[in-house]
Amino acid sequence: MKAAAFFLAFVSLAAFAEPAAVVRPSPLMSEPATDATKVADLPANAAVDARERRGGWRQVRTASGQEGWVKILALRYGGSAKGGDSGITQAVNVARTGSSGTQVTTGVRGLDDEKIVNAQPNPAELKKMEGFAVPAPASAEFAQRGKLQAQTVSYPK
Amino acid sequence: MRALVVILALAAAPAHAQFNLRDLNINKMFDTAKKVVTATSDIAEPEEINIGHDMAARLLGAAPLVNDPALQRYVNNVGRWLASQSERPNLPWQFGVLDAPEVNAFAVPGGTVFVTKGLAQHMQSEAQLAGVLAHEISHVLRKHHLKAIQKSAQTSLAGDALQQAIKDPSGLARDKLISLGSELYTRGLDKSDEFEADRLGVVIAARGGYDSYGLPAVLQTLQAMNAQDSALAMMFKTHPSPTDRLGALSERMQPVLDQYATQPQLPERFASETKKLR
Repeated sequence: MKAAAFFLAFVSLAAFAEPAAVVRPSPLMSEPATDATKVADLPANAAVDARERRGGWRQVRTASGQEGWVKILALRYGGSAKGGDSGITQAVNVARTGSSGTQVTTGVRGLDDEKIVNAQPNPAELKKMEGFAVPAPASAEFAQRGKLQAQTVSYPK
Repeated sequence: MRALVVILALAAAPAHAQFNLRDLNINKMFDTAKKVVTATSDIAEPEEINIGHDMAARLLGAAPLVNDPALQRYVNNVGRWLASQSERPNLPWQFGVLDAPEVNAFAVPGGTVFVTKGLAQHMQSEAQLAGVLAHEISHVLRKHHLKAIQKSAQTSLAGDALQQAIKDPSGLARDKLISLGSELYTRGLDKSDEFEADRLGVVIAARGGYDSYGLPAVLQTLQAMNAQDSALAMMFKTHPSPTDRLGALSERMQPVLDQYATQPQLPERFASETKKLR
């Protein structure tokens, strides 16, 4: 539920302006293109409001009111407003102890180190998973419905 | 590959090998180099797939699938399409969303990939899901987990026992091998494997026709979250920091990222197919 609230908050932020900071000294450009005019040089950690995205660029407004475009990877989001804890630790602890002191299976299922190392195999769930597998031709139709076009792209050297 | 370089370097330096002591050392190194070569090449694909199924069954014992068949099929469609763009298109690829609030994703040898519900809830588009799945697919392509399991098994299972563990799914040694595999998810891979999976993941998502910024966008979301959030604990312990991963992508992948930045993101299809998660 908290995660859902976080998600909604995040989406609504993204739709308008998000507080962000520049991670390294970056040029502020007049258009989303490397050959556009430079509006200003932003120093590392400069606070900005991030707005519309276009390709690899994001439109920003600086604290002093200058507007322009910076590369997406030059930004980090959230500013100083860090999110809180999702509340998992607390919920899991409650589930673990319960009144009997043994683990009770309530709604929260944690996936921590201990759980993974001590897990017993669940072949029935694996069987179920295999039933959801999709053949390659069906996935190609799915891609076509999303207007996805396969490209030839090489790995970096 | 690295072992091969060692062998070549050694072969090129016979003139210096005139002292007995040095001969011995070189022979020893040569032996080790040869062993590394066999170790990474002696698990055949059918065995890789079988070991992967045993490991997947264990992970599913730790957290079951989200009970939402339409969601599971959707994730399989995205993942299978991406896998078709890879160098191992014919593995029995399968994808699943685990019912766990933690933010994480897992690749299992042989073509099984999991993302947690907690991670899916922080995504905003199909391109972001594709970026994460493509990262995990890359681990399978490069056999990162398989090689790491073999490496740790070599110190705890003697040669014959390891061979038995690989070939015989019902033996005791197999149990040990799968336990080592499960532990690996709590310890993490080499950081270089994670950086490589990020680079390859960006390429595979772009090959699939998705906005190339899907994976970077997810990393930026994780970067903006409170690092002390317990939902992130295991992911952060087992991976380089999002800041380091974004920095590495920016250094090596900027041309590919820019070239495919305007491909579809499909936020609406993602929102409608994952609506029960919210």
